Amino acid sequence: MSDALSEASDLSGDDSQDVMTPTELIAKLEEAWLNEKFSPELLKNKSEIVECVMEQLTHMEENLQRVRKGDVKASIHRMEIDRIRFVLSSYLRSRLQKIEKFFPHVLEKEKSRAEGDPSFLSPEEFAFAKEYMANTETYLKAVALRHMPPNLQTIDMLKAVPEPCLDSFVFLRVKERQENILVEPETDEQREYVVDLEEGSQHLMRYRTIAPLVASGAVQLI
Amino acid sequence: MDPSEVEFLAEKEMVTIIPNFSLDKIYLIGGDLGPFNPGLPVDVPVWLALNLKQRQKCRIVPPDWMDVGKLEEIKELESKEETFAPIPSPYYMELTKMLLNHASDNIPKADEIRTLVKDIWDTRVAKLRLSADSFISQLEAHAKLDNLTLMEINTTRTFLLDSLNCMYKLRTNLQPGSDKSNDY
Amino acid sequence: METQSYTPVPPGVGMEENFLSLDDILLSHERLPCRTESAFPRLGFLEKSADTRDIPEGTKMEMPLWLAKGLYERKRRTLSVDPPKTYRQGWRTVLGADPNVVDLHKMGPYFYGMGSQLLHFDSPENAEIAQTVLQTFIGRFRRTMDASQNALDADTSALVAPLDALERALFRAGQAGLAAYQRWEGGASGRIEASGLVVNYRKRKLGELQA
Repeated sequence: MSDALSEASDLSGDDSQDVMTPTELIAKLEEAWLNEKFSPELLKNKSEIVECVMEQLTHMEENLQRVRKGDVKASIHRMEIDRIRFVLSSYLRSRLQKIEKFFPHVLEKEKSRAEGDPSFLSPEEFAFAKEYMANTETYLKAVALRHMPPNLQTIDMLKAVPEPCLDSFVFLRVKERQENILVEPETDEQREYVVDLEEGSQHLMRYRTIAPLVASGAVQLI
Repeated sequence: MDPSEVEFLAEKEMVTIIPNFSLDKIYLIGGDLGPFNPGLPVDVPVWLALNLKQRQKCRIVPPDWMDVGKLEEIKELESKEETFAPIPSPYYMELTKMLLNHASDNIPKADEIRTLVKDIWDTRVAKLRLSADSFISQLEAHAKLDNLTLMEINTTRTFLLDSLNCMYKLRTNLQPGSDKSNDY
Repeated sequence: METQSYTPVPPGVGMEENFLSLDDILLSHERLPCRTESAFPRLGFLEKSADTRDIPEGTKMEMPLWLAKGLYERKRRTLSVDPPKTYRQGWRTVLGADPNVVDLHKMGPYFYGMGSQLLHFDSPENAEIAQTVLQTFIGRFRRTMDASQNALDADTSALVAPLDALERALFRAGQAGLAAYQRWEGGASGRIEASGLVVNYRKRKLGELQA
């Protein structure tokens, strides 16, 4: 028993990444989950985190197979697994919802991605987005477009579906101090000004202003 | 975000329990817990504390701030200050609800605590509404919201953010570049 | 949980339109007073009051927003659009004095949406219309917020009645936030319920059996 559930193995990243402990990994997953829930646009996929978490869960579940029923320790491990699984599915689901909402733009961004740049979508998400686009087009064609005059049978999905609004406001907490963040004025009478974001402070401001800080992990959306 | 998801996050907070059983250290993915010895206090996340409590395997030690005297001070400070006063836990509302619902026998003066926390909550949410209104009417671009808790943000999140978004669109209607006329 | 059986497509706000949103489709059917500035050959069928093949230049007629947007051209004067009276000087003054006394539902119901869409058509009044639409929203925000924070069991119909479609959507968002919190506070969010889809499915089945 104690062997089967001994310390979860440390994870070493495949390439040049630093070694991350399982505890840090779970914290990263939760960060990604909240950021994805609250950011107006689809963020870069965190496939490596998802895969590592899946690995941890599978590993733990395999170990639990060997434990007799009714074991207190095992029941605690199962509860933890359920909690992690919840975060993981909620994270992936919020990405799918955004893909459904912005599918033409998501695919456009993927198309215009420079050779060698990492994709915003995981391979599975890319397949989902393509299929969603194809299904929507087929459906519109079947119920309406084929009854239209020939010159009106196409529809430009990029124009038909609004883009994510990067000017949306978001709530955030600062993890690493930032200086001189420019706040653009809301009216012509106001003037732009800069704010310092102290570590641990919380703010309400436009996503566009701090989007790079979300990507770098310097702020957490809340 | 659903309040139950905020509660889920609150369940990660650590709380002290006094177990009535022995168990070796547990190596969870999210960190190590224990060892557990009867009568010896040990810190565990709330989700585990509540589960053990339900199985009658422990007594929960309420956090220091979950105390009538301390909460009365906080309540007074909150009603005096115009901004959000510092709060002893970023999950004070969730922890109060969870611990009082599942372990009220371990918490002295549970009913008074419930009322005090609700009063503090009401005062803070009223402030939040006031600041939301002035944020909109002044067309502010940035607000510092220290000490505001996730659950408080969450009660008005969709409404406030959607309103700000609408306002932004209405405000930029006539700015150059905003005219993306959609010709179908 | 907030998961719905399907996610409705939200309307675009301001000058943007969401092609797949039901609200925006309804908005695009709102009628606008127009005047043709050139002849439209073979479009006579659009003008119900006359029985001619073409629409001659200078015809005053009402047409839905989508059609006006389709026929309008910025460079060539083909069509001029009159702002509906809600957006003209008289009402702008009323809204400027106290936006809270006006029943935007009666005057709308897409007051903000239509006000923004009007800006697609060149008019010397556009700047003032845009300003009025924005200030009206800001002036009424407090009321929309207070209404949405009203007790859930209270009768809100009188509060909701004068709200335009956009304000109603915000009102619903506010109520949903409050309701979710109260459900959580009351301890109901831990209960598992059948999804709306399943419940409706059962009802339909039952209906079919009875039929």
